[in-house]
Amino acid sequence: MTAPKQRPVVPFPSKDATVRAATEGAAESMEALNVARSQAGDVQAFESIYRQHAARIYTLACRMAGSPEDGEDLLQEIFLQAYRKLGSFKGDAALGTWLYRLALNHCLDYVRSRQAKMSKLTETLDAETSYQPVARRETPIARLDLERALERLPDGCREAFVLHDIEGFGHKEVGDLLGIAEGTSKSQVFKARAKLRALLR
Amino acid sequence: MHPTDAAIHAYVDETDETIGALDRAEVDRHLAGCAECRALVDDLREIRRATKSLELREPPVRAWTRIERAIQLDAQHSTERAQSAREESPLRLPRVLRSTSRWTWLAAAAVLVLATAVGLRFLSPASQSESTTSQTAAAVSAANAQSIAAELRQAEVHYENAIKGLEQIANAEQGALDPQTAATLRKNLSVVDQAIGESRAALRVEPASEPAQQSLIDGFKTKMGLLQDTVALINEMRKGNEAGAARIVSGLKPKG
Repeated sequence: MTAPKQRPVVPFPSKDATVRAATEGAAESMEALNVARSQAGDVQAFESIYRQHAARIYTLACRMAGSPEDGEDLLQEIFLQAYRKLGSFKGDAALGTWLYRLALNHCLDYVRSRQAKMSKLTETLDAETSYQPVARRETPIARLDLERALERLPDGCREAFVLHDIEGFGHKEVGDLLGIAEGTSKSQVFKARAKLRALLR
Repeated sequence: MHPTDAAIHAYVDETDETIGALDRAEVDRHLAGCAECRALVDDLREIRRATKSLELREPPVRAWTRIERAIQLDAQHSTERAQSAREESPLRLPRVLRSTSRWTWLAAAAVLVLATAVGLRFLSPASQSESTTSQTAAAVSAANAQSIAAELRQAEVHYENAIKGLEQIANAEQGALDPQTAATLRKNLSVVDQAIGESRAALRVEPASEPAQQSLIDGFKTKMGLLQDTVALINEMRKGNEAGAARIVSGLKPKG
């Protein structure tokens, strides 16, 4: 009778870490399965992907476009495009990252085409965003008020604000994404904050 | 002298490294004696705090149904293209005429919804303001106002056609809905119709009124959304997808 093989001694992870790793692993496997099924034309599997990522993409689209109606149209276009392009997804990055990149590019295309026509409006509105003494706020800003105020920001400074202050890109990246100089990104973010301050009085 | 905008914002952005310790100390000294700049810094910090607390927004329940229909339509078009390529082959018999089923109506609705979504991109209020604002304020002439009015009329015709088509489908298939849901839908539609009527009345009095134009377009969009929900709901009921139907019904809260 042969003696059982000695197993190598490895530190035993805590129960929480084990559960977390198992949960994450299961979620990743489920996602990989959904991707494979969607690539084979299974719309129900694609719906699972949609349910998991739609809120993130819809939020980005609404804020970049400045209205829930345009955000919904963008959401539809993005997920249609994702379904068509899913065949090219090789799993090099997480699916969420791939979808976010696709969504961001789609939103930027939309914003660029709109901005080209709107440049003069931005110039006109820029004059209104200079600092003016405003009454000091006594209460914290409510989320809903901020969302509404974001929708009222002029095109140009809204996108820079969303990308920098909400999505967390640096000014250099925002400049690259929007096709503007880093300094312009800064001034657009400053203008957006000043405008928000006035709107949220 | 107040600090520059750049200095104030870099001061508020704690991660911004463009403001050095010396400049930061200088802003601190200035703030100690300037209530106006203190208020500005406090407000900017509050905006930063509120921004960080923003939450994700859930898309409307109809969004997935629209996407699903668009995907199905895509697939249907591919199949039809392949089929028509086969049928055009000289070795095959002529196309057999098919009877019109209710599914053809639902497919037509999907086409309508897609076509409208594309139309909206061109005719949305944003594009109206784009055309207006592409000129300086001084150059906004009567010709431009006429062009906006023409665009609005075009949008109105477009929406009315789309709504008419959706109404036909919704009315023809309404038997699939339970009476309470059908009543809620009718009530919502009558509220929206009333809003559209009021916007039209306001536009008759003041044709150039932007709020009235916006309100009319919003009314059309709301009505389109409701009708799309109705068609989507009928579709889910026909498929026997109770979960899908329940999701849509939960978004059909009574208005007014």
